[in-house]
Amino acid sequence: MREITKSSTIIARRLPILRVCAKIVGMNWGVIGHEWAVQLLSEQIAQKRLRHAYLITGPRGVGRRTLALRLTQALNCLAPPEPGQPCRACRACLQIERMQYPDLLVVQAEQEGGTLKVDQVREMQRSLSLHPYEGRYRVALLLRFEEAHPSAMNALLKTLEEPASQVVLLLTAESAERLLPTIVSRCETLRLRPLPLEQVSRGLQEEWGAPEDQAHLLAHISGGRPGLALQLHLEPERLQQRQAWLTDLLRLLTFSRKERFDYIEPLTKERSVLRSALNVWLSFWRDILIKTCGAVAPITNLDYQQEIEQLAARLDRSAALGVVSAVENALSLVDQNVNPRLVGEVLTLDLPKI
Amino acid sequence: MRVSVLQENLARGLSIVSRAVSPRSTLPVLANVLVATDEGRLRLSATNLELGITCWIGAKIQDEGSTTVPARTFSDLVATLPGGNQVEMSLTVRTQTLNVRCGASNTDLKCIDAQEFPPMPVSDVSQGLELNVMDFKEMIQQVVFAASTDDARPILTGVLVTVKGDTITLAAADGFRLSVRKARLSSPVARPLSAVIPARALSELARIASDGDKTLTMITPPGRAQVIFRVGDVELVSQLIDGMFPDYEQIIPRRCDTRAVLSTSAFLKACKQAEIFAREGSHIAKLNIQPGGELKPGVVEITGQSEETGSNQNIVDANIEGPGLLIAFNVRFLREVLDVIRTPNVALETTANNLPGVIRPVESQDDQSEFLHVIMPMHLGS
Repeated sequence: MREITKSSTIIARRLPILRVCAKIVGMNWGVIGHEWAVQLLSEQIAQKRLRHAYLITGPRGVGRRTLALRLTQALNCLAPPEPGQPCRACRACLQIERMQYPDLLVVQAEQEGGTLKVDQVREMQRSLSLHPYEGRYRVALLLRFEEAHPSAMNALLKTLEEPASQVVLLLTAESAERLLPTIVSRCETLRLRPLPLEQVSRGLQEEWGAPEDQAHLLAHISGGRPGLALQLHLEPERLQQRQAWLTDLLRLLTFSRKERFDYIEPLTKERSVLRSALNVWLSFWRDILIKTCGAVAPITNLDYQQEIEQLAARLDRSAALGVVSAVENALSLVDQNVNPRLVGEVLTLDLPKI
Repeated sequence: MRVSVLQENLARGLSIVSRAVSPRSTLPVLANVLVATDEGRLRLSATNLELGITCWIGAKIQDEGSTTVPARTFSDLVATLPGGNQVEMSLTVRTQTLNVRCGASNTDLKCIDAQEFPPMPVSDVSQGLELNVMDFKEMIQQVVFAASTDDARPILTGVLVTVKGDTITLAAADGFRLSVRKARLSSPVARPLSAVIPARALSELARIASDGDKTLTMITPPGRAQVIFRVGDVELVSQLIDGMFPDYEQIIPRRCDTRAVLSTSAFLKACKQAEIFAREGSHIAKLNIQPGGELKPGVVEITGQSEETGSNQNIVDANIEGPGLLIAFNVRFLREVLDVIRTPNVALETTANNLPGVIRPVESQDDQSEFLHVIMPMHLGS
């Protein structure tokens, strides 16, 4: 088994989010939203029209992996209350929830933004050639497949075309366009979209006991992505970090050039930190852009509504748009291995002076 | 759980099952050995989800129970405990801590709940197929080397085992060679069987089955895609490979033009020498089959050549029927098959230098004649 265990790094990392959507019991597999997808899949299981491969696309935190795990549970549940429904209480269901099930293979890049390697796909193919160990189906879950190396995608084509019987492949990705068209055409695509903010807010209140205003705010910040909202709810330090970054951003606008450079330097030590900060700032400038355009679309940073409106009044549309594209550009440069400090400094120069 | 076992027994059991431990799996529990009381004995199990090994050892059981112990730590520890002593183990269920005492040594091991361990199938020996250990070991050795190690075609990494009537057949192929071995069963089976078992599992079985054991039981539990082998106190479970094994009967040549009968040992020695030179290149050994005349015997000339190290030529006397032929084979393949042929003489059947050659043991009474090996030739080059 030396080969199989080579990349033991494919381990479940984001457990809190998982348990998340788990509590909501009902016919919807305990998933917040996406009723159409759940209904489609459970009908396919009940009517034995299951596909061999599904591609679940959507933005991060929208519930792609939760849906995939629920599907795995529905397939391998030991005591399904009715066909196509997982009981979510038996040993198999609990192990799948923790991604610790013998017939569930989780393959993903070592870290977010990393690369899923061709060797990982090959290892997976080896175990897929065996009959299921204890369940009815062997399920391969390939997370964030847009991070796969092109050779890894190509290596998967053969398996996607003719997998062994009793094998189901579940791929998740940001969007189908970021995968090879040959991959997409071999899967049934389920496109998950951000949910109505009201639905996310209700889910948080009813299932996680979040106070109403908190749930409302989180729904806005998450932009309709229940997984993200729940993560912020369960890890309040993330929420505090976000607030710190937004406060910093407002201060930054009043700073001189030297002060700006001094501020940005420590932030650029760690790529992942910089990336998170830029994402928060991007959402803020998007809000300003929405306001300068006079659009009615809901803003993300509800708790900064006042500051956003003040800034929007002082800036015109093209200035706001300029900053949004500057932040977007910085984000893409960070992913492209450009010196992060340079990226940070250039960005601070692009911010308007108030 | 509270049990006491003899150190030697525990060490032996752990060394057997630890072959199936997978230390770096995504499932942490697979790096552990299941330790459980089982009808007056202690059961040790390990699995990597492809291959599972269980071993029962004698124990004094005071309290029933089970847990899973980190395999590496546990076997390293047990190996250093004083021999001839009793090892006392007691489990604190709440903290999943296993206390191990032996002589002056006192250890606490952190364990994982046995509930996490993948369930191992329960075997019903009465439903099984009884085989002679020595015979089956030989059968495995004669085919298992021909299985592919390339994961691109997973089905070829397995050995096809078919049981029909009173015959059991093992076949393995890797696209360049095919090894088939048949044997008679003592009694015909009611239910025919066909399964592709990973070659690795069979190699492991051949390793575990010691000469002391007489019979081996092969069980295929209905409804589960697994095969279980029971030898003495050890049970080996393997997942079956999913898919269709190629129809190998079509590959076996129906007839041959040239049939050369050689001494197995002389042929093997010549191949080993040729390989010393051929291994640097593409493993090509040329065989020049020259039929004899009225007065001189036929010979097979085996040549291995290398640009750097030189060349080697060996002439082996042979009894040849049919026209002469110059043909090239992968010499490693030749050596590997000759290594597992026990009869003094071997027949090499060829037709043309671009058609497969067949190697069979010669001696019709012995059931070795049930062995057959097909090798694809290589390009002769210039």
